[in-house]
Amino acid sequence: MNAFCQIAIVSCLVAGGVAAKAASIDSLEFFEKRIRPVLAEKCYQCHASDSEKLKGDLLVDHRENLLEGGETRAAIVPGNVEASLLIESIRYGNVDLQMPPKEKLSEAIVKDFEKWIADGAVWPDEPVPLREGKKEGFNLEKRRAEHWSWRPVERPEEPPVEATEWPRSGVDHFILDRLEEGGLLPAEEAEKSIWLRRVYFDLTGLPPTPDEIRAFDDDDSPDAFEKVVDRLLDSPHYGERWARHWMDLVRYAESYGHEFDYTIPHAFEYRDYLIRAFNEDVAYDQFVREHIAGDLLNEPRRNPKEDFNESVIGTGFWYFHEATHAPTDVLANESEIMDNQLDVFGKSFLGLTISCARCHDHKFDAISAADYYAMTAYIHSSARQEYPLDPHRQREEVRAKLEKLKTKIDAKLPVIELGISTTNDEAFEDFSEGVIPEGWSTSGFAFAGAGNQPGVRFDSNNSLTLPGTVDSGIFGQAQVGSLRSPTFTLEGDTIYVRAKGSSVSVRLIVDNYQMARYSSLLFNGAVIKDVDTKGQFKWLTMKGKLDKYIGHRVYLEFSDEGDGDVILDEVRIGGPVPAETKVEPALALDDEVEALIKEGQSLANQLPKPRFALAMAEGTPEAAAVYVRGSHRSLGEKVPRRFLTALGGKEVDRLGLANEVASAENPLTSRVLVNRIWHHLFGRGIVASVDDFGPMGQLPTHPELLDWLASELVKNDWSVKKMIREIVLSSTYRQSSEANTRINSEILANKDEANELLHRMPVKRLTGEVIRDSILAVSGGMDTSMHGPSIATHRTAFMTGRGGRKSGPLDGSGRRSIYGAVYRNFLSPFMLTFDVPSPFGPKGRRSVSNVPSQALVMMNDPFVLEQSQKWGQMMGGTEKSPQEKISDMYLKALGREPGESEMESVLSFLESETANGADPKEVWANVGHIMVNMKEFIFIH
Amino acid sequence: MHCGNFIKGPSSRREMLKGCAMGFGSVALQAMMADEAKASANPLAPKSPHHAPKATNVIFLYMDGGPSQVDTFDYKPLLDKYHGRDPREVIGELAPTQFDTIGKVLKSQWEFKQRGESGAWVSDLFPFLAEKEVVDEIAFVKSMTSNFSEHTFANYFLHTGSGLQGRPSMGAWLGYGLGSENENLPGYVVLNGGLIPPGGLDCFGSGFLPASYQGSVFLPREKPIANIQSVEKTPGVQRRKLDLIRNLDRARGEEVGFDPAVETAIQNYETAYRMQTAVPDLMDLSGESDAVKKLYGLDAEFKNTKTFGLQCLLARRLVERGVRFIELTCPGGNGDRWDQHKKLHDGHTKNCKTVDQPIAALIKDLKGRGLLDSTLVVWSGEFGRTPFAQGTDGRDHNPFGFTTWMAGGGVKGGVSVGETDEWGYKAVIDRFEMHDLHATMLHLLGIDHTQSTFRFGGRDMRLTDVHGHLIKQILA
Repeated sequence: MNAFCQIAIVSCLVAGGVAAKAASIDSLEFFEKRIRPVLAEKCYQCHASDSEKLKGDLLVDHRENLLEGGETRAAIVPGNVEASLLIESIRYGNVDLQMPPKEKLSEAIVKDFEKWIADGAVWPDEPVPLREGKKEGFNLEKRRAEHWSWRPVERPEEPPVEATEWPRSGVDHFILDRLEEGGLLPAEEAEKSIWLRRVYFDLTGLPPTPDEIRAFDDDDSPDAFEKVVDRLLDSPHYGERWARHWMDLVRYAESYGHEFDYTIPHAFEYRDYLIRAFNEDVAYDQFVREHIAGDLLNEPRRNPKEDFNESVIGTGFWYFHEATHAPTDVLANESEIMDNQLDVFGKSFLGLTISCARCHDHKFDAISAADYYAMTAYIHSSARQEYPLDPHRQREEVRAKLEKLKTKIDAKLPVIELGISTTNDEAFEDFSEGVIPEGWSTSGFAFAGAGNQPGVRFDSNNSLTLPGTVDSGIFGQAQVGSLRSPTFTLEGDTIYVRAKGSSVSVRLIVDNYQMARYSSLLFNGAVIKDVDTKGQFKWLTMKGKLDKYIGHRVYLEFSDEGDGDVILDEVRIGGPVPAETKVEPALALDDEVEALIKEGQSLANQLPKPRFALAMAEGTPEAAAVYVRGSHRSLGEKVPRRFLTALGGKEVDRLGLANEVASAENPLTSRVLVNRIWHHLFGRGIVASVDDFGPMGQLPTHPELLDWLASELVKNDWSVKKMIREIVLSSTYRQSSEANTRINSEILANKDEANELLHRMPVKRLTGEVIRDSILAVSGGMDTSMHGPSIATHRTAFMTGRGGRKSGPLDGSGRRSIYGAVYRNFLSPFMLTFDVPSPFGPKGRRSVSNVPSQALVMMNDPFVLEQSQKWGQMMGGTEKSPQEKISDMYLKALGREPGESEMESVLSFLESETANGADPKEVWANVGHIMVNMKEFIFIH
Repeated sequence: MHCGNFIKGPSSRREMLKGCAMGFGSVALQAMMADEAKASANPLAPKSPHHAPKATNVIFLYMDGGPSQVDTFDYKPLLDKYHGRDPREVIGELAPTQFDTIGKVLKSQWEFKQRGESGAWVSDLFPFLAEKEVVDEIAFVKSMTSNFSEHTFANYFLHTGSGLQGRPSMGAWLGYGLGSENENLPGYVVLNGGLIPPGGLDCFGSGFLPASYQGSVFLPREKPIANIQSVEKTPGVQRRKLDLIRNLDRARGEEVGFDPAVETAIQNYETAYRMQTAVPDLMDLSGESDAVKKLYGLDAEFKNTKTFGLQCLLARRLVERGVRFIELTCPGGNGDRWDQHKKLHDGHTKNCKTVDQPIAALIKDLKGRGLLDSTLVVWSGEFGRTPFAQGTDGRDHNPFGFTTWMAGGGVKGGVSVGETDEWGYKAVIDRFEMHDLHATMLHLLGIDHTQSTFRFGGRDMRLTDVHGHLIKQILA
């Protein structure tokens, strides 16, 4: 990362300044002797109008060209040495910008250049060399106007078609219109059994059972297809199938990867949230708002069964990035993570490659680097929280009851004058008001201000609250929660916290870095894992490596996970700290008060084990500096939080951002979603590059259909289920996978060989998860229970390395694959072989490879063998004729009866193997294994 | 990220609609068809290089943890002179180090001598490598740099050209660019000596490239990979099962039409069947002479020499079988890889003892069999180590200047390019980056690194990102 070519145009400065004619002979001579030869020798190879290859779009062969700059801002600012990029680069101080790339210029030469620029960067009067192909400046408006996907969604009329009897849905009009236009015909309707298998896998990821196949086959009612689709959309397995699609986008993982593969806490709660959200058909605009700002919604969605806040869990998607325990440059680390977060955000919701604008204005799309950094401001302004979920509002209610009780008890206590001045100028925060100070924020129900009078504290010691403190134990020790300070710039190497408590933690979060507790070498002093002040107020000292982080943006977080409590009295940055002065109140309680306190204590103690979700929380709103050329070492202008210019550029808070993205006016959100649905059902999106609707993405094959679907979605209140229903009940989806034999083969080859126009249904290979689930469904080894902590990955002898966890069971406890753990450094080899993505960035379109190792898995993998052979043996052991057994197995594994010749082939295998002396059990086990190795087991027509 | 020029889309909605209506016969369609075709065509089929290759195979000797350049190949007498001095006084301002416990300037504890006809400096740590017939085959790059001083970032960077997890490894890029010459073995094999590097298997991943290009990790033992052994009682049973499966698959094809992807999958079963034989055949050393085994150190006293010797011998056998990219990882038990934050003397002694004889044997053996000309051997860690101590007896990570070397196909032996400063701390002359190493490797295999691209997430991705220059001085 050292070249000009990484670099962004921030602005093209107006040329001008010192006219060469006015320059003195001396300075011209200096230029000709000391500057031009160096430029020619060291720079022209890549930065002159006749360079074979121009780098960074920068020319240094004329003053005007230097002033214009390359992909970044002007290379020189005459008269201002320090502001000149050229100088910064040749000084070699910024490792992201070192020129010439191979070798640093001598100090003397650098001094010459400094002098030249200080003296006005004179250049003789000569024509400006021009270069063909040097790019135009960045023109956001022009780009926005020129690219299709920025334009509003317009609902088109359904085009008229000749074969009027064919369409069942609006979808079909658009498809048929194009087929007819090309002289093509749609394929015949697929056999009922084929359609059934197709729709089962697409909607639930499981094969139909023999009973379901027979029932559908026997159902001649006009709404037979509708009934199947409605049943499948109502099935809880639907959510399990479609949640997994979404998990690919948010690079869902349960560990951070890198050296030790540390755990991402509570990740599975997000997975379960997705499953529930799809099953409940949460409106997609709501789903989007929950992801971006679920923590800020005025009326968060509550779980219908357990009454906890669902919306907040959506924000967990921000935090499935990878993370390392030892970043030597924490700010650089943060900028990598933000890049990943914005990549996920941009591609998943908007189909935009926002992160391409990190180092420079987007090369092709209407996204500026300032847009990118305005988006980073949302992340800078947020904090990560472990949000206590509080099922059935137990914690909330206990707190409310205790607050009431406290008011009642406190009224009975005598007024106590402690006579201590509580404000303190030296303090970073002295909590003197006895409330959560402005700018500080909490999660959960533990932390509260202690007020300005001593009052009851529902701990087990009958102690009183201390005025002018913030306290996590007032409402009992079992309450959980965290308290965050505002974000501030660290100005000392030590932080002191006067506190009393135990079993809580204090963390200094530097540049949003969450892993400090794993890295005592680089972050010593930033974390106190287990505070214990032994019942006294004490000054806790955070010191060690904090000096490394002076000048960085930081905040403090106090966490009480329900095992203890903490009273916070004061926070200081830097010393010295005063001697202990505070007097703690104490008084004798009468019986009545004591009884009330007992009542409160027992209430406080009945709280269940806490349950958390990883979520975003509002931090301190801040503007973000543009990192010039993507380098956090070169800070540019500050930009406030705002949405992309091309989408209105509103300066709004994160909730406002969520509303902007989730708006029907936004041309991308609805289009991107319906295209994803289309992609999952047809194996390819209307826009094939599902994550990139920009100029580098592919164009829609059916642009009007895309808009029709997008407007349908909005019309149907953003219902994903209704959209899926519309599509799978269409004639398009009901086609056979074989082209209509009445199509002229030459026309077919010319017009639609790649089947973009969908003259037939494409054949799709099942995903890794669905293959595994199908094996379990067929073998009877499936446990269909839903939700909960993940099942550890089964580890083979080949899965070694740091951070390994205990191996899970070979059959994954029979649970569906979505419940299998996703440890970044120990991904399931079965899943990898079948292209389940390694979770690093958004992936809306998986690769579909087709390789021998997949055959090896199906032939020899212990899981496949165990399940299929057990099943074969079981089927073979039933009291039926061999023909019946084979029929049953076909129906179960492949969704159809065998043909005559197939039956004969299997029977003759049975006979010859038995004749060879094989045990019948073993032969039937082999038949089971053969069934799952048939190509149609994993290729769906 | 690649940010070059790509196809231009139509500029108006009307134009776009027109384009679509006309069947959309643009470059985009080609791209999509290519994508589609991937599911059917064999992705490992041999492909034509961009230019005539010098080498057809690569053996990458990955020195996990970062060997110390100033104790092996980069001779710096100044360290003796200033041994024990505060580096901040004598060297000047130091870049932050991983562990931030900077000790004194630390001289090398091994003697350096000039070796072979080329006069290359090699310390006593590598007596076998120092032999004339080996050292004169080697081109040393003494000015390599990395962008990262932390293992995982640096490992990903070395392997994939990016510090982030999840990008395709260079072996995967080669497979993508050139295909494979052996349809019964994977194109990218990692011979795992025992240590999977920090960063895990993603160092060998295919990233956004199709899964078929990912590295297959082989253990140096009888059954080196998972699922390679047939589980049927006799090979005959498996054969008959596979025959039945094929017949049933074909019969179904008659019914519902032959889909190209299904056809490929049917073929894959045959390849898989042959792999079950090809892999054990690879591991069967009964045809190797005792002299060869001895050469590689299979009879060595030190266990790790035996392990690495076996890896090197298998590497040669893989080259013979046309496997494109072979990577060797280090055996464990030598003091946490080459990562000697302390006990440098003990750790480096063991690490060198592990790899020295086997690597020298590999080069001699390849040469003796006429394979060295077409095999590129690359030796590199993810970074080097500091010329000053960490604590008292270790060295910290140093990405600013370290030594890697190459030998074999297309490489000029007996040369040394680039220099670090007089301390062996930072590259100052002919500074190279990992991208340059990658560009050079691809070049030697006939690939122009700027032309080997894969469209992903809206960008044409490259192993070398937007960087990379050939290390011309070492090209034969």
